[in-house]
Amino acid sequence: MADDKDVLRDVWFGRIPTCFTLNPDEITEREAEPYYLLLPRVSYLTLVTDKVKKHFLKVMKTEDVEEMWFEYEGTPLKWHYPIGVLFDLHASNTVLPWNITVQFRNFPDRDLLHCQSNSIVEAHFMSSIKEADALKHKSQVINDMQKKDHKQLWMGLQNDKFDQFWAMNRKLMEYSTEEGGFRYIPFRIYQTLSDRPFIQKLFRPVSPEGNAYTLSDLLKEMFPAALPTEREPKRYQVLIHGIEPLLETPLQWLSEHLSHPDNFLHICIVPAPSD
Amino acid sequence: QSMSLSVTSAQMSSWRRQIFEQLSERTKREMDNFKHYEQAIEQAVWVKKGSM
Repeated sequence: MADDKDVLRDVWFGRIPTCFTLNPDEITEREAEPYYLLLPRVSYLTLVTDKVKKHFLKVMKTEDVEEMWFEYEGTPLKWHYPIGVLFDLHASNTVLPWNITVQFRNFPDRDLLHCQSNSIVEAHFMSSIKEADALKHKSQVINDMQKKDHKQLWMGLQNDKFDQFWAMNRKLMEYSTEEGGFRYIPFRIYQTLSDRPFIQKLFRPVSPEGNAYTLSDLLKEMFPAALPTEREPKRYQVLIHGIEPLLETPLQWLSEHLSHPDNFLHICIVPAPSD
Repeated sequence: QSMSLSVTSAQMSSWRRQIFEQLSERTKREMDNFKHYEQAIEQAVWVKKGSM
């Protein structure tokens, strides 16, 4: 029988089959073959693409190489969003593998943050975990951890070690029975057609009367247009890790089981396919 | 205490069952035809760096 812990494994081991192709405008010494890779949904592009970089550098001269960045159908891909979020937001409902273009010049400073090393990803990841714990436990859990514990969370993600990561992350998921959940749910709602990067506000998992709030309650407050109506066909898909949880799913459960390793529940709202 | 215990099929709420089902469909959709692809992260032995 399936167990809630299986959900954590499924979330962690989610992979997106991806085909990386070099931008044809890059100067190469010979033709660059595409490179195929299974990308972990919960990781970050710049953290898992060393092999891609090495592959394309073989056909390029050092003087033609600047910082590597990625694009999907003309959209620069933000490395500081988890890979699964980028896929769900920009490429869900397309045929796999996911076709990403690799570029080594003309870095789009307006759209992307620079990322020259893994320590930049680590700083971003740890600051997200700290922000999430500030919302969940007034930072008490993360502040009680030692530096080596923080490192264990990061190394777990970096080396794809589920047990190592969850041995520590389970502490960040605890709460007292009287409270019935976290103080606030760390969530971010992304939408494709918006200038706003994402919606993030304070939202509690339990009502003042003690009733558990659901995904539907959150959307009602943050993005009511995403809720289906009886009168019209479904306009939006609400995706978390590539699936559409039922709107009656309790928010606290979602936060504990479908959050990314950065401890945020990343929710993508994309137009429903019109087939 | 935050982790739910294993529940039997009869006890399982529809939202929970639906999540289990969709996750296994996702695995089929996104991974079954691509098992021959290389993994981005090699499963190396975990080494703790003593730099802190």
